[in-house]
Amino acid sequence: MNNRVRELRTALGWSQADLGERLDVSRQTVNAIETGKYDPSLPLAFKIAGVFSLSIESIFTPGA
Amino acid sequence: MAMRAVHKRYLREFFPAMAGYVVILFASLFWLRTLDGTLARAAVTVLPAIPIAFVIRAMVRVIRDQDELERRIDLEAIAIAGGIGVFGFLTYGLLLNAKVLPDPTGAAVAIWVFPILMGLFGIAKCSMRWYYRSHE
Repeated sequence: MNNRVRELRTALGWSQADLGERLDVSRQTVNAIETGKYDPSLPLAFKIAGVFSLSIESIFTPGA
Repeated sequence: MAMRAVHKRYLREFFPAMAGYVVILFASLFWLRTLDGTLARAAVTVLPAIPIAFVIRAMVRVIRDQDELERRIDLEAIAIAGGIGVFGFLTYGLLLNAKVLPDPTGAAVAIWVFPILMGLFGIAKCSMRWYYRSHE
């Protein structure tokens, strides 16, 4: 799965730790999601979408 | 980087339990020298297992309460450690059965199960964390 989490996060000037704090996850988890090493669960994806005030499908797209 | 609350709690629970284990282990070994009778010796011998139950409780609580990737890493590391541990003990058992290796005491084998599994868990967890950390 591809995602725009890094792009959205940096646009807001947040560090990975800042986003992790907002999502109540570790910085390592934010990094793993951004690098595509880990696909978040649906509840976490909804949380991410909520933090950026966007829909899930505008952040996460099916991978090749 | 600041440690998350769930991991701070884990350390607060883990280290006193491990310290208790060490103290109770030495105390029970000392006490056993002076004791006669199977029941009394059995009771004193198993005393060090009590703080280990608290160690396991701390581990279960941190696994349940940390975030989903951390939980996945821990559970995968436990599965890998269990698999390697079982493979290792089975291989060792086969070698013992064939009289290729000297027979250890049953106590020695049983006592080493927990530390070996924890050691393998630690190695597996480090490898998993390294995998998820790479390409930062």
